[in-house]
Amino acid sequence: MTFSETIMLERIKTELGPRVIRGLLRSGFAMESAKGAAKWSYRRENRAFGLWLDFLFDTMKRGFRKERPVVWISAFTPSEIPHAFDLEPILPEVIASLAAHIGVSEHTISIAEQNLYSMDLCSFYRCGAGLALGGYLPKPDLIISTSHLCDGAHRFFHNMSQLFGCDHYLIDLPYENGGRAHTYVIDELNDLADFIGKRTGRHLDDERAAGVLELSNRTRGIMLEINELRRGVPSPLSGSEGMSYVLGMNFSTLGSQLGLAFFRALHGVIQERVNRVEGIIEEERYRLLWLHHIRPYYPNIIFDILGGLGAVVSFEEANHIYWEPMDPRHPLEGLASKMLSNFGCGPIEHRVEAILEMARKYRVNGAIHFSHWGCRQSCGGSYMIRDVMKERGIPTLVLDGDGADIRNYSEGQTRTRLEAFIEMLG
Amino acid sequence: MIVAGIDIGSLSSEAVILEDGEIMSYSIVLTGADTQRAAKTCMQEALEKAHLKFEAVSATVATGYGRINVPFALKTVTEITCHARGAHWLFPSTRTVIDMGGQDSKVISIDTEGRVLDFVMNDKCAAGTGRFLEVMAGALEVDLMEMGERSIRAKDGIAISSMCTVFAESEVISLIAGGCSKNDIIRGLHEAISKRIFTMAGKLRMEKPITMSGGVAKNRGIVDALRRLLKAAIHVPEEPQIVGALGAALSAWHLPSEAGMKNRGDWGGGSEDRAS
Repeated sequence: MTFSETIMLERIKTELGPRVIRGLLRSGFAMESAKGAAKWSYRRENRAFGLWLDFLFDTMKRGFRKERPVVWISAFTPSEIPHAFDLEPILPEVIASLAAHIGVSEHTISIAEQNLYSMDLCSFYRCGAGLALGGYLPKPDLIISTSHLCDGAHRFFHNMSQLFGCDHYLIDLPYENGGRAHTYVIDELNDLADFIGKRTGRHLDDERAAGVLELSNRTRGIMLEINELRRGVPSPLSGSEGMSYVLGMNFSTLGSQLGLAFFRALHGVIQERVNRVEGIIEEERYRLLWLHHIRPYYPNIIFDILGGLGAVVSFEEANHIYWEPMDPRHPLEGLASKMLSNFGCGPIEHRVEAILEMARKYRVNGAIHFSHWGCRQSCGGSYMIRDVMKERGIPTLVLDGDGADIRNYSEGQTRTRLEAFIEMLG
Repeated sequence: MIVAGIDIGSLSSEAVILEDGEIMSYSIVLTGADTQRAAKTCMQEALEKAHLKFEAVSATVATGYGRINVPFALKTVTEITCHARGAHWLFPSTRTVIDMGGQDSKVISIDTEGRVLDFVMNDKCAAGTGRFLEVMAGALEVDLMEMGERSIRAKDGIAISSMCTVFAESEVISLIAGGCSKNDIIRGLHEAISKRIFTMAGKLRMEKPITMSGGVAKNRGIVDALRRLLKAAIHVPEEPQIVGALGAALSAWHLPSEAGMKNRGDWGGGSEDRAS
């Protein structure tokens, strides 16, 4: 490649790329065209992927057009809340992962850093801030986040509320379930319902809320069936997919008709693969469990290396269904229980217990803990988890890295770690 | 049976030739910008020392960062596995291998058979590597190979607070300007690097005995600093730089016969003319 070609490519990447994407997101016609083009190649082989594209483009389109009040929510805020109030949920963390995937996160992270966001801040939030500052996201009318799992989330969302001049409601989750914790969260959710009503004019309707929880429960049931299918050998769904659009829909659509349709379609796709005894890779020699909610979303070779060595991520911690069905007649009680039952809350023993159960259930030969810089709640326990897994005969690789900032990715170092780990499995 | 192991590292490349499990010859060359040329050169040198033609070698295994660029290798194995095998072969009681190479450092926990049980590597930062020492030697205007002896002659180590190669270089320049003894600065650098390795070893719940490999193991100052920190004896092979290549050769030795046991045909190295 000549020098001028390199410069041109760089300009396309850093300038034209984001502009085109912003144009697509803002233009209904272009949005439809892009959606159609993007789906063309996937529709026949993966209906679920097509539904995800529908959701993504339609959400952004409705959000930019302000067809209904836009609420930004953090990944761990139950999506049933915006759906119960008929709000348009936007998840900046999920869109940041998409930005990394399509190669624009370098640009948006640069925007954030130029605007004094520290390089020590989680790259998903730097990317999210850059997306917000660059005008790539629909403006929020309201922001809701929670205090559990992600340390950076409530600070980022508070900062965004300052940027956009809208209110931010932080659902403060007690460290651990038990005692007054459940009542405390229910009181908060009641308060949140009043707060949403005052800011958006949308009030909690018992019948609608019951319907949303009913949908969420039905979707949960299908997700459990999917997870059962994933116990099969060969693995019918890759961890790479599990932690991209599947997880994005898990975070965004529970409690909606689209969520139900998506997971039904995904179930169908996986069932077909199981029926055909079709695995993700040709010869499955090693089954792995992926720990933590994140994988690198920018172009990388991690899953290709693993596949080439006969290793497949059979399941990922992020898609473990940890909550019980919710009582549609008592939606706030159900949502409080769902949040409080997250195995990532409380002492590390909760997470260890859940991970050991997953390792047993999915019959894995080893685990990879992806330690994303910026995720203190997850990385803090990585070596403790490794030690417990080792005691149980499950070798675990702690793979340091970054989920959204490609500047922190080294292909050679990553390859050596992964290959050595697989060699270690024997 | 004659087999070869080749380790293409970021700074240097090594080849080891084994015959029936014994070392026949080895060579060490600088890698430079062309890893394929480095692979051929060091293989050729090792062949010449052993008075062999390439055709006499049944199988070659490549390791190191450039392992995928060795066209004549039958198989690639990571340097983590190779250093474990090499260290175990040299010192069978070894339970931990500390490999400090040109661009990375590793602490490897191994079992009684030399199999890897676990490992940790330094992150993308160059601290604790040969490259770090090379930059510091440049800043101090001393020969890299002298650093070990100078550190042993030091009266006291001067604390170096920064582990970033660029910042540490600035710190070293400031210390020189402040009139500090070069030997004391070098000892401080060695202690700082050793603390970093000590921390990595702690993550593995390290067991003894320990063997050190990689080019940095030639630096007595580092080895001494690590011995003091780890409160343990450390085995250092006569030529620590070839442990990875030795492990690769052992991997070739243990390749199952059904794998073909034949090198790829695209050697094209021209060694036939010079080797008898």
